[in-house]
Amino acid sequence: MQIRLKSAAMAAVAAGTLSLAVIPIAGQAPSPAGLTPSTAGVARMDGKPNLNGIWQAFTTANWDILAHEAQAGPRPALMGVYGAQPGGMGIVEGNELPYRPEALEKKKRNFENRMTVKVANDPSRYDSGDPELQCYRPGVPRANYMPFPFQIFQNREQIMIVYEYKWSVRWIYMDVKSEAPVDSWMGWSNGRWDGDTLVVDVTGMNEYTWFDRAGNFHSDAMRVTERWTPSGPNYLLYEATIDDPKVFTRPWKMSFPIYRRLEPNLQLVEFNCVPFVEEMMYDPLGLYRPGPRKAK
Amino acid sequence: MRKHVLVRSGAATLVAMLIVLAAPVGLRGQAPSRAEVAEAARKASPHSSEEAMAYWKAEVARRLAEAPGRVYDPRKPAMANPPKTPWGAPDLRGYYLTAMYTPLERPEKVTKQFYTPEEAVSAFTFATTSDAGVDPATVHYDWKEFGMDAWQSPVRPNLRTGLITDTPDGKIPALTPEAQKRRAEAAAQRRQRDPQTGVQIFGNLYTRCVLGGGAAPLIDGGAPGSDSAAGAGGVTTEMQIFQTPDYVVLVQQRNTDVRIIPLNGRPRLPQSVRQWYGNSSGRWEGNTLVVQTTSFNDPAPATHFQGATDALQLTERFTIVDANTLRYEYTVSDPKTWTRPWSVEAPLPRIPPPLYEFACHEQNYGLINLVMGAQIRATEGRLDPRDPRVATPTDGGR
Repeated sequence: MQIRLKSAAMAAVAAGTLSLAVIPIAGQAPSPAGLTPSTAGVARMDGKPNLNGIWQAFTTANWDILAHEAQAGPRPALMGVYGAQPGGMGIVEGNELPYRPEALEKKKRNFENRMTVKVANDPSRYDSGDPELQCYRPGVPRANYMPFPFQIFQNREQIMIVYEYKWSVRWIYMDVKSEAPVDSWMGWSNGRWDGDTLVVDVTGMNEYTWFDRAGNFHSDAMRVTERWTPSGPNYLLYEATIDDPKVFTRPWKMSFPIYRRLEPNLQLVEFNCVPFVEEMMYDPLGLYRPGPRKAK
Repeated sequence: MRKHVLVRSGAATLVAMLIVLAAPVGLRGQAPSRAEVAEAARKASPHSSEEAMAYWKAEVARRLAEAPGRVYDPRKPAMANPPKTPWGAPDLRGYYLTAMYTPLERPEKVTKQFYTPEEAVSAFTFATTSDAGVDPATVHYDWKEFGMDAWQSPVRPNLRTGLITDTPDGKIPALTPEAQKRRAEAAAQRRQRDPQTGVQIFGNLYTRCVLGGGAAPLIDGGAPGSDSAAGAGGVTTEMQIFQTPDYVVLVQQRNTDVRIIPLNGRPRLPQSVRQWYGNSSGRWEGNTLVVQTTSFNDPAPATHFQGATDALQLTERFTIVDANTLRYEYTVSDPKTWTRPWSVEAPLPRIPPPLYEFACHEQNYGLINLVMGAQIRATEGRLDPRDPRVATPTDGGR
């Protein structure tokens, strides 16, 4: 974890918040058709929506949060259809990301270098390919639309989310609001109820996570305001406003539905991906010697 | 909160500053000698070794005066009416420390199961003082530095001489012949080190950031020392219990490892699905949470807890003893490893929130550094690569 004084960053974030209220969000588009929020049938606990359960988004946004066509994966000779990217409509309202010019260049470089792995003993390792490829924690909001389920644990005073991908954890502090003490991969989440909507203010994220495999990215000044609105018993509308003045010229918004997984025997199954990337990351340095393995 | 957690004391500030100041020296790449590094660290330190020692001695004296009142008596009955959650379950929610100085096995030359309170304080004092380092040249980020956590954290002296409760001599039971053979093979494999680096890494789950420690149970040996890879009560042993009516979730700060424990008899994973943390189910027995875990994976070439295999079966019991203490008991069995099951009992003191994200793999400079360091040393010929000093300090042997 990076430990640093953050007062300057926090001031910038505060300024961003003030401006957020007056900047209209471009386009109210793909608010998912037919998903008019309705609180009918929403499970409740102590008067608030009960979000306990296993949830999952079904989008192709982890490939690209903007609308995209199907295409072959990065190594078609090796991976065939396993590596291919499905097309999709994206999750960004207005289907446009307001990058600053230099940031757009970096986004393009990110995409070109998305399979690059740098194993270095300093932060230059993060100037490399998609963090997901290297089994790094995905950050917010990406964790919410990766193709893995996640589980929300909620009691009267506390909410915690455990993502199947790498067992990434978020604590959503409902009682006492606090400033992120250090930057982290999954950020620092302060939550509150706005009627039946869970509003989560996420700050303190480092600059190393991406939005998707297409190289869309942010800085450590990013502030994410999430709105989780239960809409019937088995789905909720997820909206996230991204405010990052170092990378984008204005705040922008994504939205998509998140569905409750209904299989009665369902549980999260460990996805500890570290052993899956060791050969890729450490073999080039001559480090990868896993030793004899028993045949299955 | 920031002040509380990040700047716990003058000693903590000193540690943090030393880490920052000493780091560039170690990363330069011209491979300065150990003596040069140590001397540079001492020069960079804002406090001398003597000042640090004086501070530490005063802290120890202050804490020692309090120690007799903090002795944990495992024979004291648990509170009859523990606090309850809004939905009526015993309320285990909170943050706890899983580090302790009471050794897993009863020490040599100790023939009884329980100390007197005076003996307990004496054993604790010996363990903590012999474990603390105050030389800026060797300062590190683990919990024992300056002995501060031993004294400033709620770790307590324990009347138990060792944590194991149910074997006649307080030791881990005899290994099965199969386990003896496995252990010998692992030792032989460790001796066959790579001639270039002299370091064997891939048997060590902690160094690889695969797991924050042993997968389960929570107490992986109470012997003092910072070598968490070898199973000692090492770094960042904070733990959180999160409860809902249907689940208990254990989050360990090391590696931010998570165990999701369903209550109410939810269907378990099929036996064919194995996991690093196994497959758990929990239930309430009176005021005690009982968690049974099986279906651990085969972690070869590493092993599970204390050399265990995928046949490990674990039963854990969590009971609120008093407002600040959770009693943690477990029984392990593994017919491939031990000739009989064995059990442990330990107190987990409450600590203040929060937990922090422990992004181990994301910044696993340690793994790279230790191999690069060994490569540099081997190349320079300062040490023969087969010299045990190359491998021993970094190879926890898991």
